[in-house]
Amino acid sequence: MVDTLLLWWIWLAAGLFIVGCGWRALKYLRAPEHLRWDLYPVAHEPGRDHGGSYLEEKDWWTKPRKKSHWGEVEFMFEEIILLRGVRVNNRKLWWGSLPFHWGLYLLALTTMGLLVAALGLSSRLWLGVIALSGGGGGVLTAVGAVTLLIVRSREPRLRPYTTPLDRLNLTLLVVLGALSAAAALVPGGMAQAVDAVSRVVRLRAPEVSLLLGVQMTVAALFIFYLPFTRMVHFFSKYFTYHEVRWDDRPVRAGSALERRLRGALEFGVDWSAEHIQTGKSWAEVATTMPDKADSAGE
Amino acid sequence: MPLSQLKSPEDLERFLLDNEGIAPRDLVPLPFPYQDWKDDPIPELTEEQRGRYEVGPDGVSAMRVPVPTTEEERDRLVAGFLDGLRKLLTKENNWTFLQPLMLSLENCVKCQTCADSCPIFTASGHAEIYRPTFRPEILRKIVSRYLKPGGSIFPKLRGTDIELSWDLVVRLAELSYRCTLCRRCAQACPVGVDNALVTREIRKLFSQELGLNMPELHEVGTMKQLESGSSTGMNPAGFKDIVEFAQEDIQEKAGLDIEIPFDVEDADYLVMHNAGEFLSWPENLQAFAIILSVAGVKWTMASDLLGYDSVNYGLFYDDVQYSRIAIRHFQVAKKLRAKRMLMGECGHAHKAFMPIADRVVPMDLHVPTESAFVLLEDLVVNGKIKLDPSRNEFPVTLHDPCNITRSMGIVEPQRNVVKAICPQFREMEPHGVNNLCCGGGSGFAVGQSLNFPAWRTRVSGRLKYRQILEAFSDHIEPETKKYVCAPCSNCKGQMRDLLTYYEAWDRCGILYGGLVELIVNAMVDVKEGFLEWEFH
Repeated sequence: MVDTLLLWWIWLAAGLFIVGCGWRALKYLRAPEHLRWDLYPVAHEPGRDHGGSYLEEKDWWTKPRKKSHWGEVEFMFEEIILLRGVRVNNRKLWWGSLPFHWGLYLLALTTMGLLVAALGLSSRLWLGVIALSGGGGGVLTAVGAVTLLIVRSREPRLRPYTTPLDRLNLTLLVVLGALSAAAALVPGGMAQAVDAVSRVVRLRAPEVSLLLGVQMTVAALFIFYLPFTRMVHFFSKYFTYHEVRWDDRPVRAGSALERRLRGALEFGVDWSAEHIQTGKSWAEVATTMPDKADSAGE
Repeated sequence: MPLSQLKSPEDLERFLLDNEGIAPRDLVPLPFPYQDWKDDPIPELTEEQRGRYEVGPDGVSAMRVPVPTTEEERDRLVAGFLDGLRKLLTKENNWTFLQPLMLSLENCVKCQTCADSCPIFTASGHAEIYRPTFRPEILRKIVSRYLKPGGSIFPKLRGTDIELSWDLVVRLAELSYRCTLCRRCAQACPVGVDNALVTREIRKLFSQELGLNMPELHEVGTMKQLESGSSTGMNPAGFKDIVEFAQEDIQEKAGLDIEIPFDVEDADYLVMHNAGEFLSWPENLQAFAIILSVAGVKWTMASDLLGYDSVNYGLFYDDVQYSRIAIRHFQVAKKLRAKRMLMGECGHAHKAFMPIADRVVPMDLHVPTESAFVLLEDLVVNGKIKLDPSRNEFPVTLHDPCNITRSMGIVEPQRNVVKAICPQFREMEPHGVNNLCCGGGSGFAVGQSLNFPAWRTRVSGRLKYRQILEAFSDHIEPETKKYVCAPCSNCKGQMRDLLTYYEAWDRCGILYGGLVELIVNAMVDVKEGFLEWEFH
């Protein structure tokens, strides 16, 4: 009975994780094209170490645009793996944040490793590797989360911005980290985990020890609520960088971007301030003035 | 209330409502020769003024929000604010910035990594109300509590226990005018959140829904510009007079007979100046005219309504006003069949005309836009005008306008010019895309209301002044005349006020001005001494 409940709990959590993340991503994806709000340095500007842009070139609109995808990869690597921004600007927090993030990366990798093994691609070596990554990931997550909990509770600049829910979340991650490390490192732990995952993916109730059962329950709880927290920055960061900070595309006649922008100008406006003529489309509002002045187009 | 008393998220609301003013003793100290400098406190509003206008949590008023006198007025303010907030989060009303706003509202992890990058927060001695996350956090709480489904469930647990009241709304409005939108905080954010954008959107909400804004940006800014052609109130006839005076001045100062062309069709460059230059720094217009004419560039200016003033303060507070002005600007260029528009020394005009207008102005009105720095670099570095750098034999440093560098990535051209013509050039630290704002950004430089100018010089511009002093530390004595090159009208306005307040000319011999003035001062075709070493 408990095993069956665990099976459905994991599937519910996984489902909600996918739907929740999908919904958040779709919300960002479906937002209309916005005005440019690029911020320099832009990582794909080639050969501009000083943070410059193509606007430094004479007659820039006549020249083909060059983009350095390697520049983006290099930046993202440093940001995702080394947490460059936090390291440079907030070293104190970085000491907790780095192990915390590495721990979560390793736990995510371990989960993928378990899925691979559950699909039959397993070996003793593979089990050893994922046990190491699961154990290490769990320890790093727990250590990082404890450090963040302490810093967020003690630092006057962080305390008023940390909600009880944030603390609860970090506490849960301490527990999850500790459980994951224990479950991965106990003798035979990984073989049992592979077996459990293999059963879950085949919609069969897993047969697990108490330790692994609790670990799986807590892990499912974590992914269950993750899409509704700020932790979605693991994918929303893509949008903040690629769709805003690094979006330096100029509009070209006949482009899809131009078509979408033309569509946006047809949206109706109902701002209430006196100087805005509510009830008209954006295009109309932008080309006319309130009573005092003439129409711009006339 | 000191930061140490802030224990939990609900204290932020209390802090916003209870905080009264900032103490001069907390301001960041300045280096030699200011070790004994004592700042006057920011003047408090008189009783009469307090009876008429609301103030922010620092006792400063930038917006001159009228004190609501009846309960009905107060309720209307709160209801209007909530309505505006709802509209801000719809694609119909806010397609222009909905996606970046959502991303910034929903993904801040409150790690405070951005905090120390803010020149205002740092200069104030870390006054909590100026923390880059403070304002957005108040807004996030309101969104979660009042607009999201289930907002009132477990508010303490989720940190959304905020009570909306008229005084909280007004203080939030005022606080949106304590950030220069320089975006250093966004640059530091590892997640890519832009709390400066959130601040801009708060301003927009108040303007577009409640008609509350900074008067210098709206009534005597965009409204005046749309009505009379310029935020200075200058009409086309006035502009033509200015051109005539400029020609006479050029003859007198530079010994050159130059005709400033306007309304010439099919020109290679339609030069767009901030009209504030014509009145406050006419030498900038003159220097541009000299360089372009001597170099044989085919250029013109426009005398049509709005064509002679590149200002677009809508950029800072109101998308509708911004769009109205941007479209009119491009209509002028189209009418003259200009091959491109050349942006003069005005940072916000660069941004308003180039990246931002690109997605607002319909394609049939598009005209290519280019920064004057790019053309000037070509003329100077490639020897298209004759220069004698020894004429600029004095210490020079370069201020980077945020809109041109951090928001557009135009960094090197202006540097290459200064390096070519100023043997004693030295950088400020940090510079380029990491520069510090002058403290007059986002329209603050024109903010003259009540005690706001005092706040601007003591707080928002303080780190910039410290940077200038540090750049000139090897020759800080007043006998050595020094030049801060600030190639932006708003930055120059702020420099004027900063250098005046800190008595920079008398104490340190520091003068400010634009880039083209330096070029003309070094031109061998021009009479020596174009730069007048007089503080104004």
